Amino acid sequence: MTALLDSAALDQAGDTGTTLARLLRAEFMKLRTTSTGWLFLVGFIVFTAASLAINGFGSHYQLYPQQGLVSRAQGLAEAAQAHSPAGVAAIAASMMTSGQRVGVLFALLLGVVIVTSEFASQTAAVTFVTVPRRATVIWAKVTAAACCGALFWLMGTVIAAVATPPFLYSQHVSTSLAGWIVARSVLLNLIGFAVWGVFGLGLGAVLRNQMASVIGAIVVYAGSFGAETAFTLPYNLFHQSWLLAAPVIAPALAYAVMIMSGQAFPDAPSGWVGAVIMFGYTAALVAGGIALTKRRDVI
Amino acid sequence: MVVLLAAAVIGGLVWLARLKRDGTRTDRARTDGAGPGLPDRPFGGKRVPSALMAQGRIDVCGLTKEYRGVRAVDDLSFTVEPGRVTGFLGPNGAGKTTTLRMLLDLVEPTAGTATIGGVRYADLDQPIRRVGAVLEAGAAHKDRSGRDHLRIVCQSAGILLARADEVLELVGLGAAAHRTFRGYSLGMRQRLGVAAALLGDPQVPILDEPANGLDPEGIRWMRDLLRTLAAQGRTVLVSSHLLGEMAQLADDLVIVAAGRLAAQGTVASVIGSMTYLSRTLVRTPEPGKLAAVLGSDVVVTPAGDGGAYVTGADAVAIGDAALRAGVAIHQLVTQLPDLEAAFLELTAGKAAIR
Repeated sequence: MTALLDSAALDQAGDTGTTLARLLRAEFMKLRTTSTGWLFLVGFIVFTAASLAINGFGSHYQLYPQQGLVSRAQGLAEAAQAHSPAGVAAIAASMMTSGQRVGVLFALLLGVVIVTSEFASQTAAVTFVTVPRRATVIWAKVTAAACCGALFWLMGTVIAAVATPPFLYSQHVSTSLAGWIVARSVLLNLIGFAVWGVFGLGLGAVLRNQMASVIGAIVVYAGSFGAETAFTLPYNLFHQSWLLAAPVIAPALAYAVMIMSGQAFPDAPSGWVGAVIMFGYTAALVAGGIALTKRRDVI
Repeated sequence: MVVLLAAAVIGGLVWLARLKRDGTRTDRARTDGAGPGLPDRPFGGKRVPSALMAQGRIDVCGLTKEYRGVRAVDDLSFTVEPGRVTGFLGPNGAGKTTTLRMLLDLVEPTAGTATIGGVRYADLDQPIRRVGAVLEAGAAHKDRSGRDHLRIVCQSAGILLARADEVLELVGLGAAAHRTFRGYSLGMRQRLGVAAALLGDPQVPILDEPANGLDPEGIRWMRDLLRTLAAQGRTVLVSSHLLGEMAQLADDLVIVAAGRLAAQGTVASVIGSMTYLSRTLVRTPEPGKLAAVLGSDVVVTPAGDGGAYVTGADAVAIGDAALRAGVAIHQLVTQLPDLEAAFLELTAGKAAIR
């Protein structure tokens, strides 16, 4: 067969990586070549900067309580607590992860968009015709969503790492940012961002509809915080102690339990319980998304 | 031992030389007749080597798709041969797009098979090097440039990204390569779809309504392109509503109605099978007398301008009858049905939307 036209490009090998690696690079190209990904990143940076500022004010008043707002004795006690090595480390950890507890929403929603934009812009058919291995396509998207989550974390952590030392210096306290309490919080947030990105992707793959998935993701995240209240009534009725720990089944609370060194809510179970629940939801959504994507017709 | 070793070395050298020669031949074949414009027709649109026939033939066998009890495609079987343009026609809702999507593994058939060169699309190695499909003219992200859209397809398929620029030039979108898809006209979107389909230099281009939204120059360009692709031995399957355009472009037709095959064959044979739709224009000073001698089975209707259409008798029978009756004939023209008439007859009475 004669070529349609002289093709220097077709005579040379392109990306010779595995299908998954090729698709992953294609996913990054998709993100780079539309404004959505960039808008998410800019939004996240602005949000992180704002959170740092608010967190800075909060930490300042923790270290130096305002006269009049609390009693003098209480103020001195709180200040002493905040100035202790553990207190300073907690403040440093809080500064280093400023805004990240809500910032994971950016990773979550970008995960949703990575998969649902294919259906919203009708490019799913192009994607699946180019590579008719649907599970591999979804795995590439899962990896891309995790990487995007990690990128958000990196941006947030770099901004916080630049701002935190001068802040601590200005407050006349010092602590090592490489200390275990700070490092633990920072690293758990990395896992959290990646997992929320994949959670969003799984949700988008299951629902396919972009609007429904975005709303669903926000409801799942924000609605989780109502779980404590929701379990109060059954506890009052049955007085079973496990009902007080049960709100951990709400994804955002499971995540909070997973990453927080203190208790996310009264009677919260250990961190590993939150991690198991969070990973469980994410794995179930990804498995469901892959199974449905393989089964569904692309029309 | 030494002899064996020498034989092995010589054998290896011969094998290497042959490999190199074949490679050179392949390179030459690729560039021969493939200048910057569209190349000659190496197979004249007729004779295609049998190896290519096997590689590029589309076989649809008993294909069925049921959606909630409605059969969108119903036991559909047809073949599409290499080296020819095959028009895939049918009214709205006849199941054309569903059939093409089943062929491309986007829709799971309820029953039956669809293969390309005997292989299911999903089982093809590097499918876009074998099959190039245009399914939706609007299938690109609105904020992405045409060039980026194609580069993403290249990246996914493992084709050098520079190929995107080549096909953009080929379809005449070079100047609009960096413009976002949102700013493309429908015609430009069609061209981008064709560019995407040609990225892998495929043996089997499949195009769903590619002429929609094209201006006359664009339609002519599309026609030339598809004819050239078929002339190169490729299997070109095109669905369309533009019957006049299809009559000019297609070698073969597959006509579906209500999900079932209504007709398949060359354009001439499909239209020829509708000879009962043909009529004869007769001009005579004595139409009444002619009608009387033709008998009651023949229908004569006024055509205006002094002429009459005769159906139920061909030109020879009319001429003989007129001669016997002494009726003067000034004009006798057989009018065969066109593709539109044949299409409407073949699909008449079959529910378009089910």
